[in-house]
Amino acid sequence: MKIGIPRSLLYYYYYPLWKTYFEELGIEVVSTPATSKKIIDMGIKHSVPELCVPIKIYIGHLLKLIEDGVDYIYVPRFVSILKGQYFCPKFMGLPDMIRHSFEGIEDKMIIPTIESKNENIAEYKNFKIFEEKLGISTKANKKAIAKARRVWESFKNYCHLGYSANEASDLALGKIIETGTLPAKASVTIGVVGYVYNLYDSYISMDIIKKLREMDVSVKTFEMIKEDVLNQKLQNMSKNLFWTFSDKLIAAGYTFYDDANIDGLIHVTAFGCGPDSMLGKLLELDSPVYEKPFMTIRVDEHSGENHLQTRIEAFVDMIKRKKIKARRGA
Amino acid sequence: MKVSFPYMGTTIVYKKLLELLGHEVVMPPKPSQYTINLGVKYSPEFACFPLKVITGSYIEAAELGAEVIVTSGGHGPCRAGFYEQVHRRILEEKGFNVDFIVFNSMFRDFKQFFANMMMLKGTNSWFKIAQSLLMVYDMIKKLDILEKRVQELRAYELKKGETTKAWEQIQIGFDKASSKKDLQQAFNNGEVLLNQIKTFNIYDKDRIRIGIVGEIYVVMESSINMKMEELLGNLGAEVERSQYLSEWVAYNALPGFMNRTHEVEILKKGEPYIPINIGGHAKQTVGHIVDYSQRGFDGVIHLMPFGCLPELVSQSIVPKISQALDIPVLTLSIDEQSGTANSLTRVEAFMDLIKGKRMKKIS
Repeated sequence: MKIGIPRSLLYYYYYPLWKTYFEELGIEVVSTPATSKKIIDMGIKHSVPELCVPIKIYIGHLLKLIEDGVDYIYVPRFVSILKGQYFCPKFMGLPDMIRHSFEGIEDKMIIPTIESKNENIAEYKNFKIFEEKLGISTKANKKAIAKARRVWESFKNYCHLGYSANEASDLALGKIIETGTLPAKASVTIGVVGYVYNLYDSYISMDIIKKLREMDVSVKTFEMIKEDVLNQKLQNMSKNLFWTFSDKLIAAGYTFYDDANIDGLIHVTAFGCGPDSMLGKLLELDSPVYEKPFMTIRVDEHSGENHLQTRIEAFVDMIKRKKIKARRGA
Repeated sequence: MKVSFPYMGTTIVYKKLLELLGHEVVMPPKPSQYTINLGVKYSPEFACFPLKVITGSYIEAAELGAEVIVTSGGHGPCRAGFYEQVHRRILEEKGFNVDFIVFNSMFRDFKQFFANMMMLKGTNSWFKIAQSLLMVYDMIKKLDILEKRVQELRAYELKKGETTKAWEQIQIGFDKASSKKDLQQAFNNGEVLLNQIKTFNIYDKDRIRIGIVGEIYVVMESSINMKMEELLGNLGAEVERSQYLSEWVAYNALPGFMNRTHEVEILKKGEPYIPINIGGHAKQTVGHIVDYSQRGFDGVIHLMPFGCLPELVSQSIVPKISQALDIPVLTLSIDEQSGTANSLTRVEAFMDLIKGKRMKKIS
């Protein structure tokens, strides 16, 4: 039996969990190759033009899976992973968009509703659907969930150590071994604010993290900050954004503003992202208050790598000069 | 305390309520190109269109001296729940000192709701409050009854534009009313006005009925949806909107277990397509299209602000519903680029298609 997971959206956050779970049950996991021009084009062709790029890419990956011939496709409906908080409406309606857009795809889709108390979604009710669909016993199911839960926890731990989600995912799954040496402290540290599915999809973000590291910049992202630190930041806001990941991003943004070790912020956002239009504006308005440079990079299906290179180079140069100036002045 | 509010639909209703409570009301001007320009200039680039228009209209109200803005809130997942936070920051940035009173759902945070009520209540007695609320609700209902007639009559008037004029007069009449008796009087006057309009006769089977569905702001606010209702009326179609203020109030003011409003039924009809509430009016949109097709409407116009998160989901599903139920649906996405001629052509073509479909059925 083969189950397909599109390499898009929350794949970058939950892949270790999903992979462990399915493999523990003896199911082969098939995921798509990294996003390519062809995959994006397929997605664009089959979706409403106004949709944001990540969703279009998801649809592209999904179609690729069907081409490849899998038995089932795992398309979870993310509703809430924190009490009183939701996902973006497009996440919540994603399975509906897909099953009503393509004829006969519904039988192949497995659509569990994901609702959990915290980020670790390895809870029995989120995976109960497989018992009936794939004929698994409750005992085996629970055992697989427990293992998935542990693997995901170790993934989070690696993230907190300062590994990017991609690296942490490989580490947690044992694909690579911890070298013991994290990237050494660089001369400039930049906080990158962006969703996992934008930052780690090298086609969308054009590998911005790698590019920054090559420029002798150490990078911090939201998943490297511990949960309770983020939650504390949110308490200072009079009303929080009610989308879980946007909330994390804005809390990370303010943590970066407050952190004296961080020299500047880059906000990576996809064209047409609704929640980002709000949180980006708030962070932008606060940039002069905290006296830290802030830059927005908006990405879409048109890839122009050179402009990105130029912009981040200029941004990093500006920060370096500012630091030299400050040192001279002191 | 000079109070203002976001401009949407029949604004005299909000004005009346605040006036009855003894506040000085700063009426925001009807959204114009100037309002939109202001809003676009100061709002986040990718924010949805209603946010931009409301930003513009707040700035205009603040320039007129508004000190407090009363608005509704929300808790997601649609962006509308966060409007007030962004607006607050934008107005602050512009140097206006404006307070916000935000009404979130009273079932979620009653304490806050109560505190807001107390602020608006001032020195009025609770009896007065209840009386005012009931009176305004009565007013909304009466206005909606008349508006539904207006939407029907407009298609058959002999002198183009007469109905619209009458509707404006009716609103002025209601605006002046300050007691229950006045309201009844204004309602009666309105009916007389509408009865005077000369129409041509039409057989029942020749009537063309179009439903307008979509996000509440672009559906209700005629100044930003290119006066879609008038446009359709002038092209000879009766129009019904998916949102009326009275229905919205009834649905939102009643707790779940005793909610028997029409909207509950609509939501049920949307269930096969979108099983859970994904925020905004996506589920209602889908439900209304099903409802209109069951009631034998000839077509549906689906209005959405550009980039609206929930409506994008419904937009993706619309082709399937349209095909399954055999009802034409035209989706128009609305933003600050108001190419009126473009939309006009599309709506005209849509009407031709509906008429053509009918001819084919007969022959």
